[in-house]
Amino acid sequence: MVDAVPLFRMEGMSKRYGGVQALDKADLIVRSGKVHAILGENGAGKSTLIKIMSGVVAPDEGRMLLDGQEVSFASPAAANVAGIVCIFQELSLIPDLSVADNIVISNPPTWLGMIDRKAQHAIAMEALQRAGGADIHPMELVKNLPLSRRQIVEIAKALARKPRVLILDEATSALTAADVETVFGVLKRLRSEGIALLYISHRMHEIAELADDCTVFRNGRRIATYPAGSKTGDEVVELMIGREYSSVFPPKLDTVHRSATPVLEARDLHWMQRLNGISLTARAGEVVGLGGLDGQGQRELLLALFGVLRGVSGAVLVDGVQRVINGPRTAKAPDIGMALIPEDRKTEGLMLPMSVRDNLSFAAMSQISRGGIIDRRAESAAIDRMIKLLAIKMASPAAAVGSLSGGNQQKVVIAKWLMVGPRIILLNDPTRGIDVGTKQEIYALLRKLAAEGAAIILYSTDYDELIGCCDRVLVLYDGAIKRELVGPDITEHALIASALNIDHKEAVA
Amino acid sequence: MTTDKLDAPATSRTNWTSRIDLPVATAFGCIILLLLVGSLYSPNFLSPEYLLQQLKVGAFLGVIATGMMLVILLGQIDLSVPWAVTLGAMMASAATAYGPMGEVFAIPFGVLCGVLMGLVNGIGVAYLRIPSMIITLAVNAVAQGLMVAYTGGFAPQDSASPAMRYLAAGTILGVPNAVIVWAITGAVAVFLLGRTTFGRAIYGIGNKEAAAYLSGVPTQRVVMIAFALCGGLAAFGGVLLAGYAGKAAQSMGDAYLLPAIAAVVLGGTSILGGRGNYLGTVAGVILITLLQSILSVMQIAEFGRQIIYGAVIIVMLLLYGRERTGR
Repeated sequence: MVDAVPLFRMEGMSKRYGGVQALDKADLIVRSGKVHAILGENGAGKSTLIKIMSGVVAPDEGRMLLDGQEVSFASPAAANVAGIVCIFQELSLIPDLSVADNIVISNPPTWLGMIDRKAQHAIAMEALQRAGGADIHPMELVKNLPLSRRQIVEIAKALARKPRVLILDEATSALTAADVETVFGVLKRLRSEGIALLYISHRMHEIAELADDCTVFRNGRRIATYPAGSKTGDEVVELMIGREYSSVFPPKLDTVHRSATPVLEARDLHWMQRLNGISLTARAGEVVGLGGLDGQGQRELLLALFGVLRGVSGAVLVDGVQRVINGPRTAKAPDIGMALIPEDRKTEGLMLPMSVRDNLSFAAMSQISRGGIIDRRAESAAIDRMIKLLAIKMASPAAAVGSLSGGNQQKVVIAKWLMVGPRIILLNDPTRGIDVGTKQEIYALLRKLAAEGAAIILYSTDYDELIGCCDRVLVLYDGAIKRELVGPDITEHALIASALNIDHKEAVA
Repeated sequence: MTTDKLDAPATSRTNWTSRIDLPVATAFGCIILLLLVGSLYSPNFLSPEYLLQQLKVGAFLGVIATGMMLVILLGQIDLSVPWAVTLGAMMASAATAYGPMGEVFAIPFGVLCGVLMGLVNGIGVAYLRIPSMIITLAVNAVAQGLMVAYTGGFAPQDSASPAMRYLAAGTILGVPNAVIVWAITGAVAVFLLGRTTFGRAIYGIGNKEAAAYLSGVPTQRVVMIAFALCGGLAAFGGVLLAGYAGKAAQSMGDAYLLPAIAAVVLGGTSILGGRGNYLGTVAGVILITLLQSILSVMQIAEFGRQIIYGAVIIVMLLLYGRERTGR
């Protein structure tokens, strides 16, 4: 089990950013042919650790040993040459280039100084094959691929660099259940080929399935390393957050107003070939989940309800009255009171360089201004209320929102919309890539908003979340609702089965 | 907790940036440096008369750059400024020729023509989705053609109205009216950018148009209005220039395009939009005005002036670019 010289080892690694000790004398041992999971809340030091390993940042102190030889990397390219390749959380692909171009981008094969297209094609094919994306055409432009396929390309790109240590930082957070299966198959094969895999994820069941060893980080220190499967989920979460861990999900109190007219009703929505006749209702006090594989029309459905898509046919009723919602501006008006927490907080939800204050008040301008002039006192009061309600942690409301941790950024997106005082809240995968503690707070908030009478539609790629949070789940397949699961029927089995459209049981009324 | 610790760098960073806005400080530093260099050449450079004269000359650029700043904050550009300036000057002068009523409405008419020209730009950019660099260049050409047709290609005979002359060349208690006009324009701009929903929307759109749209901001309307304001302010600058010179002239606005963009960008406004404050633009305007003045006082030949002028702008932009990536 314990071989004399591990493939990679780091000792006494420390890194400070300004006043923050991001890593504090951390150590880590990585062995070949193993999947090593790194766990920890956002800000626990995981990102810094892998940035040091992959040559993105230089440590203040500490040393790294590869095959027992001390190494240091001046750049990611140097780390790549040594065989350490990282797939970062943010996709690094260039949308307007082809898949093959992207895969060989750092080191394209050349012939007489020109890119050798044939060799490039071959390299890309092989890498895609190994990454489980043999169905992706190397000449396809990356921008035409759905998010989950892009992640496969990202893995192929890493494999083309012949890694000995492959680091995956939240690499599955954009993937659907089916894609995760594919990727796991690939990772298991890589493991058997002797590659060391460092796997960072917030999804516990993925770690349980994949990892051989687990290491928990907290506050920049390594807290514990243990063989996978030797601790219960609650124990692991306790190690991560360092506090007593109750249930992740708040109790589902029945807050649904069954007798009243549904706050939101959609009838027979069609859009392009992506929405094929969707009808749904959401009542006050109800959390309705959207399930199914990624890309089955969930995103389009939320955008259609919010009035962003052009050319949607069908009807949308608010409080039983048919309304024409032709854009976010109409949707958020008080008589409709709809809010959309968008999918990508960095491009759709926030203006990262702007302050927390400006971001928070951006959607609620009409609430805090009169005649186009901002009432600063009302603005400050509303912002303070939101910061307190969601416990947003930041230096001051004047801090740039980009300087906050991912979880706190997501809180700002949600708070920004709560300031409008919405009655209908649409959420597009709101907990992707954020830490357990913040997720928990968001779940509690959703139930609280429902209890206060909001109608909530939640799309999530995380089945646990749909099971834990929703009163009702609509499973979409190919732009239509295939199955409706209510209350205790919402189980992982039922969700997966209906997502894959393999269970032809009649939909529960 | 972890998150508390994580937030600490944000603290230091915000305090640091809010205390000294680096581009603005740099621009003001360069102004002082220029004055010192000038004073070595001639002590007159530090005299109140000279400084006031520079502010007065700068006022025209200041008004024009204010509009340019709105558009640059959106992440757009307005290349139609030269003929918006000329259009304002010529139309105001033309109105003056129509008797007493014309004299009264000369200034508003000139500005209105600029607003209309800006509206065309704005509709093109916001609703027709034409890149601003193209549509504003095209509108500039159309305006030029119209003005040449109107004047027959000669300097128009009409002269500026008394009100135009008073605004541009008069003084109140020794302070040039042009400087006062600039100060009022600036105060309105500061209020607009900092205290109104319109101003917030401009910064928001400049940062991430998609996020602004999804937040329910009427992005198209805001973009259109910003271009209209830019056109109006350019034309107003032209009205003042005509008042200053006594009459309008062909191509009188050509000398204002690059200085207007340079003043905004030297003042620290990001050419990509979303970031910048008005004080920086004021500093940029003064800096450019002083630079032009000192180069001409030193009697450097025209070609030399152009080279130095352009080189200084490039060097300063390089400095800012480096500083920004470092942050």
